Amino acid sequence: MTGYVAGRVLALGVLLFGLLCITFAISHVIPGDPARLAAGPDASEAMVQTLRAQYGLDRSLGTQFVVYTRGLLRGDFGLSLRSRNTVADDLARFFPNSFELVTLSLLLAVAVGVPLGMLSAVYRDTWIDHGSRVMSVSGVAVPAFWLGLMLQLVIALHLGWLPLGGRLNLTTELPPPITHLLLLDAVLRGQWATLGDGLRHAVLPVVTLSFPALASILRVNRAEMLETLHQDYILNARAQGLGGLRVVAKLALRNAMIPTLTMIGLRYGWMLGGTLLVESVFDWPGIGLYAVNSALSSDFVPVMGVTLVIGFNFMLANLLVDLGYAWLDPRLRRTAA
Amino acid sequence: MYVAVILALMLLLVSPASAFERVGDRRILVFVGRQEVPTIDPSIKYDWSIRMMQQSLYDALVKYVGPSAEIVPWLAEKWETSADGRTWTFHLAKNARFHNGDPVTAEAVRWSFARTLKLNQGPSWMLSDFLKEDGIKVVNPTTVQFTLTQPFGPFLSVVPWWYVMNPKQVTANEQSGDAGQKWLTTNEAGSGPFKIKRWQPGTLYELEAVDDYWKGWPSKDHVGGVIYKLVREAAAQRAALIRGEADIAEGLTPDDYDQVAKMPGVVVPEFPGMTTFGLKMNTQRGATKDVNLRKAIAYAFDYDAFLKIYNGHAVLEDSPFPKATRGYVAVPAFYRQDLNKAREYLAKSAYPNGGVELEYVYFDGLEEERKMGLVLIDNLAKLGLKVKMTATTWPNMVARASKVETSPDFLAVFTTPVSTDPDAVAYQYHKSSWGKYYGSSFYTNDGVWALIDQARTTVKWADRAPLYADIQKKIADDVPEVFGMLMNRRWGMRDHVKGFSFSPVRFTGEVDLYPLAITAK
Repeated sequence: MTGYVAGRVLALGVLLFGLLCITFAISHVIPGDPARLAAGPDASEAMVQTLRAQYGLDRSLGTQFVVYTRGLLRGDFGLSLRSRNTVADDLARFFPNSFELVTLSLLLAVAVGVPLGMLSAVYRDTWIDHGSRVMSVSGVAVPAFWLGLMLQLVIALHLGWLPLGGRLNLTTELPPPITHLLLLDAVLRGQWATLGDGLRHAVLPVVTLSFPALASILRVNRAEMLETLHQDYILNARAQGLGGLRVVAKLALRNAMIPTLTMIGLRYGWMLGGTLLVESVFDWPGIGLYAVNSALSSDFVPVMGVTLVIGFNFMLANLLVDLGYAWLDPRLRRTAA
Repeated sequence: MYVAVILALMLLLVSPASAFERVGDRRILVFVGRQEVPTIDPSIKYDWSIRMMQQSLYDALVKYVGPSAEIVPWLAEKWETSADGRTWTFHLAKNARFHNGDPVTAEAVRWSFARTLKLNQGPSWMLSDFLKEDGIKVVNPTTVQFTLTQPFGPFLSVVPWWYVMNPKQVTANEQSGDAGQKWLTTNEAGSGPFKIKRWQPGTLYELEAVDDYWKGWPSKDHVGGVIYKLVREAAAQRAALIRGEADIAEGLTPDDYDQVAKMPGVVVPEFPGMTTFGLKMNTQRGATKDVNLRKAIAYAFDYDAFLKIYNGHAVLEDSPFPKATRGYVAVPAFYRQDLNKAREYLAKSAYPNGGVELEYVYFDGLEEERKMGLVLIDNLAKLGLKVKMTATTWPNMVARASKVETSPDFLAVFTTPVSTDPDAVAYQYHKSSWGKYYGSSFYTNDGVWALIDQARTTVKWADRAPLYADIQKKIADDVPEVFGMLMNRRWGMRDHVKGFSFSPVRFTGEVDLYPLAITAK
């Protein structure tokens, strides 16, 4: 098992390096002159050159790649031409907001998707199943930005129940940082008003981001549950007089959860990528919005940083899913050992 | 576009609400804007949102005030210049104080100018050809003298953009010899009417009024602070304004402004701007290299379409210089649609039957520029010319404009000059502006360049004025662009906001926050 884990971690490193190469190459072939943009419209050529030299953009691509890679090993993600800040500082500022958004969205997707998938399978072809199907098809078909705008329209503007966007009200006090996760810090500091305000602002983006994941989880879980419920060992358990709910929850669900877990893991990575749209719609100050604004300014160093962070999290989620398999399925544990 | 339509639908369901934020007894003005404030270091960068903050946090020796863009004393109470225009002596106000209580001294002024020149970024280009570090002398604690390497007529016109920093604070926060650049990105060392209260990059920036501001306040109802909140969608900005969640919104579409102006509690002040819009033509490459073809195009264009696109909130250019520019003259018989003349010039060109395709490059997502492209297609079809529209991002536009080989036949460009001095516009047609987005025409005329050089190093206005009149006529005759229009400046504002003071030299969304007051209870 230890060898299996070590192998997976090593593979993760290789994958990350591959991602780094691809991201670096793409960032440097797109048209645009970031130094000229950052220097401002009136800047003379000498001023642009000053900036290029300051940010190392006057070096060869190979040298830039080596410098960047060395920096990464020290945790240095380079400098943003747009924010004039280190990308590591910017990521540290914005990533916790995205992490909170994605985590809350995933929790919601799992909390609703798994039970609904299970119920749809158990009560197949009833109104529960039909309702779930409508939800899962919509979740896959409806674009996130459209859903976000509709929620803003109805819930925020028409009904006035929730804020239109942003992270907090303009005058709400930020909790002094402990974990840099706003909601958690509000709890730890006992700032309940801030927590309430933060949650109110989180509802619409969380619902928007979680909807496609919820739909996928629901569909996969339903399909797996249906298959599992027809297995011989389930029939056997029922024949031996085990109660309906016990069979479903303890035997069928656990076996059906393996593909569902894969879906959850993959969805975590996709959702981090999906924050680009949702954060733009809701003005949520996370890495998605940071990446969009950087990309629009041809500021490729932050874009590379965000890509690597999202990629790393995606791979990490996959790794955890693989390890989770072993926990759920003893046969895999033995194979891995 | 799709997003804008959806958000526009939202407005149908919105009812007006109340207004500004209140913190204690302070009335906080909420300004929603689309553009971030990535740095506030006065030596490093400026654009409209950055400069709105810099102007609030820092003071300069002089300041532009009012619709006539009058230069008034600020940190400097008075100044004099030598007969040859090379030496400028400024006498500072004795009561001027930085926010930490330190006096604003001549040494602070010298240090601030030297820092900007040395870092060679931001506004340094305005003076770097004429002022060296050793040309700045502290005469006494309240007198500073600038000796220019050669006379520079527009000197005073760019001084308002050189803000004075507290050297003691900046040097105390230097990191590895960075001249305080990292620290000044999100911190200030100024003497302006506001100081920073909250700085949440990418989200909001909050300023707090300095109650005992050394210059005093123009109104007892002055704002107690300002929250500049980033709202990136114009339609969401509009919604915030109508709901009363914002006191000022910038950057709405022409249609949006017309709509919100009808809403109760909202006003839309409107002023003639200095931002020109033109279709820059590449004069060095392709078909538009032919001056007769350029003239044919200029006479074929339906200029009234500009006014229609902006619902009448614009005026047509009748000179390469905006009307608010000092020394502006209306060029006689300036380009207006005249198809006979257009055909006449086409016949003289290398393309008497048309038959060429020209590329029009514009900013993706800006509906007005897209419409202008459609007008161009329609108008040039009458000459047998085809137009291909290319929507692209701003970085791509800047990149393409930087080289003759890549600069398109037409580039849709808005340009705001940094001052009302004619040099600020004339220099856009100088060879030194090649490579900049507004230099995408790669305009060449040795005679005009010599005139521009002569005019900027001439001291007396009486001698400069005729030179600029000549420059305007010559540039117009060479027609390096389809001279377009001057879009009126508008802001959406709640009606309890008073004291708004427009100055044409401020950039597009920029507002001078100092004179603003809130009169609502």
